[in-house]
Amino acid sequence: MSAIGAISGVQPGVAGSAALTEPRWVRASAIAVMLLFIGCFLVVPLAAVFVQALERGLGAYAAALVEPDALAAIRLTLLTAAITVPLNLVFGVAAAWGIAKFDFPGKSVLITLIDLPFAVSPVISGLLYVLLFGLHGWLGPWAAEHGIRIIFAVPGIVLATLFVTFPFVARELIPLMEAQGTDEEQAALALGAGGWQTFFRVTLPNIKWGLLYGVILCDARAMGEFGAVSVVSGHIRGQTNTMPLHVEILYNEYNFGAAFAVASLLAMLALVTLGLKAVVEVRSRRQLAEALRQRGREGEA
Amino acid sequence: MSIEVRHISKTFGSFTALHDVSLVVPTGSLVALLGPSGSGKTTLLRIIAGLDFADAGSGPVLFHNEDVGDRPAAQRRVGFVFQHYALFRHLTVFENVAFGLRVRPRRLRPPRREIRRRVRELLGLVQLDWLADRYPSQLSGGQRQRVALARALAVEPNVLLLDEPFGALDAKVRLELRQWLRRLHDEIHVTSVFVTHDQEEALELADRVVVMNGGRIEQVGAPDEVFHEPASEFVMGFLGQVNVFHGRLEAGRVRFGELAVEVPPGEAPPGGDVRIFVRPHDWRVDRRANGEPTLQAVVCRLNAAGPHARLRLTTPAGESIDVEVPHERCRELALHVGAHVFLSPKQIKLFANGGAACGARSTIREFVTQEDRSLLATGP
Amino acid sequence: MRNTWTRRRGVLPGFGLTLGYASCYLALVVLVPLAALAAKATSMTWERFWTTVTEPRVVASYRLSLGASLAAALINAVFGLITAWVLVRYRFPGRRLIDALVDLPFALPTAVAGIALTSLYAGNGWFGRYLEACGVKVAFAPLGVMVALTFIGLPFVVRTVQPILEDLDPEIEQAAASLGATRRQAVVRVILPELWPALLTGFALAFARALGEYGSVVFISGNMPMRTEITPLLIVVKLEQYDTAGAAAIAVVMLAASFALLLAINVVQWRCLPAARGRV
Repeated sequence: MSAIGAISGVQPGVAGSAALTEPRWVRASAIAVMLLFIGCFLVVPLAAVFVQALERGLGAYAAALVEPDALAAIRLTLLTAAITVPLNLVFGVAAAWGIAKFDFPGKSVLITLIDLPFAVSPVISGLLYVLLFGLHGWLGPWAAEHGIRIIFAVPGIVLATLFVTFPFVARELIPLMEAQGTDEEQAALALGAGGWQTFFRVTLPNIKWGLLYGVILCDARAMGEFGAVSVVSGHIRGQTNTMPLHVEILYNEYNFGAAFAVASLLAMLALVTLGLKAVVEVRSRRQLAEALRQRGREGEA
Repeated sequence: MSIEVRHISKTFGSFTALHDVSLVVPTGSLVALLGPSGSGKTTLLRIIAGLDFADAGSGPVLFHNEDVGDRPAAQRRVGFVFQHYALFRHLTVFENVAFGLRVRPRRLRPPRREIRRRVRELLGLVQLDWLADRYPSQLSGGQRQRVALARALAVEPNVLLLDEPFGALDAKVRLELRQWLRRLHDEIHVTSVFVTHDQEEALELADRVVVMNGGRIEQVGAPDEVFHEPASEFVMGFLGQVNVFHGRLEAGRVRFGELAVEVPPGEAPPGGDVRIFVRPHDWRVDRRANGEPTLQAVVCRLNAAGPHARLRLTTPAGESIDVEVPHERCRELALHVGAHVFLSPKQIKLFANGGAACGARSTIREFVTQEDRSLLATGP
Repeated sequence: MRNTWTRRRGVLPGFGLTLGYASCYLALVVLVPLAALAAKATSMTWERFWTTVTEPRVVASYRLSLGASLAAALINAVFGLITAWVLVRYRFPGRRLIDALVDLPFALPTAVAGIALTSLYAGNGWFGRYLEACGVKVAFAPLGVMVALTFIGLPFVVRTVQPILEDLDPEIEQAAASLGATRRQAVVRVILPELWPALLTGFALAFARALGEYGSVVFISGNMPMRTEITPLLIVVKLEQYDTAGAAAIAVVMLAASFALLLAINVVQWRCLPAARGRV
């Protein structure tokens, strides 16, 4: 009750007249409904992960994590993220520069294509690579001939992850860089800076928070992806199992304690992501808002 | 260093921003590109800077008789002050000013102590040394403007180009900065070109004014020259408020409405239909007919606030005429709304009529304020 | 050559480099694989394609996927709107924490969400225990699919409505009040119409995401043929039977549905945004 007792009105400037906010009982019940909804769907499931992970004590928890297959899964997950995040980062920056700083026909088509992976079910993302590199796929026979294993091997996992995390960085940067315009870059060029100097000294500092935000989202997805990776991995223990896949295997073997132990690592990763995100989001929004405000001023002039 | 552009054209898609423009800016002068928005003035400035390129087939852009038309901005050594300053928001004032020196190739880069000294000196010049560690977002508009100027000057530019330098400032700051910039220019004498849509600013600040309209140069001249001897209707209308009438020129006299005014020989267009321009302060106002040919009118609005009393008069034919009279004259005549007055023009300007005559009417433009006129009166 | 480019593109460097690189990368990572899918699907005869995608088991999965996704998106529309409203308009302890927590479904791997929800709603779980006592079976039933899809779609409505609500000019409510509107009238006639496009967009995004979701659902649904199989699962099933053509056929149907939704979202935004922009 104390939470509801402490409810103040709406934002400062608006508070005051009864006609400008809802009656107290409406506010209280809206907050209660929201808390119940968030509680049931977010808080309790999250808590359940940790409770069940620790149900059999810290010893069993630690044992589940240092078991060789679990360690292999952690290694593979980190490796996948270490490959995919930088690749998509470079792509995101390049695409955002090309799209935001220049005008050309077909721009909106390109933006739509970049967003495409978000519209595709993760399972289909995996399927695409099976069709491409599988035994009857376009490149499968060629790869088999040269002894390259892609499907049911690490390269397939990396490719599928690359696909599902493809848009994150570009998507954060394009609106930000569009809002910032090209004035500062032009100023740098007029002052004698070269292209790379302009990018590293002017553009990059201006987009760093948005970039970091995109990287955080990209990384979280890369480490947590299940559907796409599941299709291409082949679930070979100790070899092609990422952490989410390892969770699945343990769970299906009714080894719930171990499954939740590994899951709790992923849940902690998610919480760290949320924490970082909350910090970075504020700054990246500020960066965007500042750019938009500047735009607004220019519009008036 | 002088600037010259020859036969520059620029199109953006189907829009022609510049039609075959040629211009010479003498060494050490301060030149204003004046025109309404869309007149091509900013485009011309950006082509001089190397931030835009003229269409193929255009003539050269010459700095001190050397063609720089193919060089990108970075190699032209221009100081460019952007309309919205384009300060680097992540750098302090000091670092903003130092930027142009720091990005030089190592062999051309001054040593750190020299950079520090130069930046301090420039910040002193723009009177902002006490703000060196602030970020652009912590500065007022006028301060940002001066940082942008210091930053542009730091590279020791061949020419200084300013795009609407005072456009984003409020009226009072604008006035102060304008005078300050004039003094600064007199001190450092770098060839400077600035773009403005404010005729007052151009007339007060510049040595020469280039009036532009629709991608063409209408007139180039000293401020008093373009104000008193406008070369075209557009220049007449753009530099201050005018009343426009349609009339006929016959035997050295121009007739419009009930008026017939002698036209000095040589000044008159060949004859026929003409348009007559009279500035609001070029009317003589009387309460009774004074023997000269006059227009009768009734005062329908009187605004005595400001340096002059401004009157809106209506003629019996229903035309409106804007007139400015000194306050003393206004009191002397005991003018009030509804008063009958007689008008005669002290000075008129004629232009041959292009379109069909459609009766006299006046257009409303911004008033030229007292300062301008006193400046012009005492000007060279 | 270089000169004509700079003349056309202005002075900033890197147009060719960045766009060339981005396009190649896009083609390699996204377009070539999609082309492989299209090629596979078109290599089937129309008849075979049609029988594959209209198999009773597949049709049952459409029904479940569509129904559960729609229900989940509707739940999210209602509760997401309330959540966004409360987060923007009311001040109470823990508000920022909850605000950050809303993104949990984006950050939490779906497999983790899946096993957590399953353990909660199973017959011996914290919730399932009481629900089954009341005769409601959630885990290993269609209701469970809906619960999982509600979880993963939760942030969409909140995050699309929230910024619009934040940017809403308080003056329009004050104007409504000054014109004599009661609070309820102001909310229903002035505020809700402003939120409508965002709400619809959030709903469609949650719906689209739910249609394709796999990880969180496979644990809680029990995957019983004809009863609790979702469409993405059938793609996996076909693949496990080495029927890549069948998998491709179902994938094409799903992609068509997602693109249609995406198009619908764009139309909604395209229609509503100019009005919003013109308002200022």
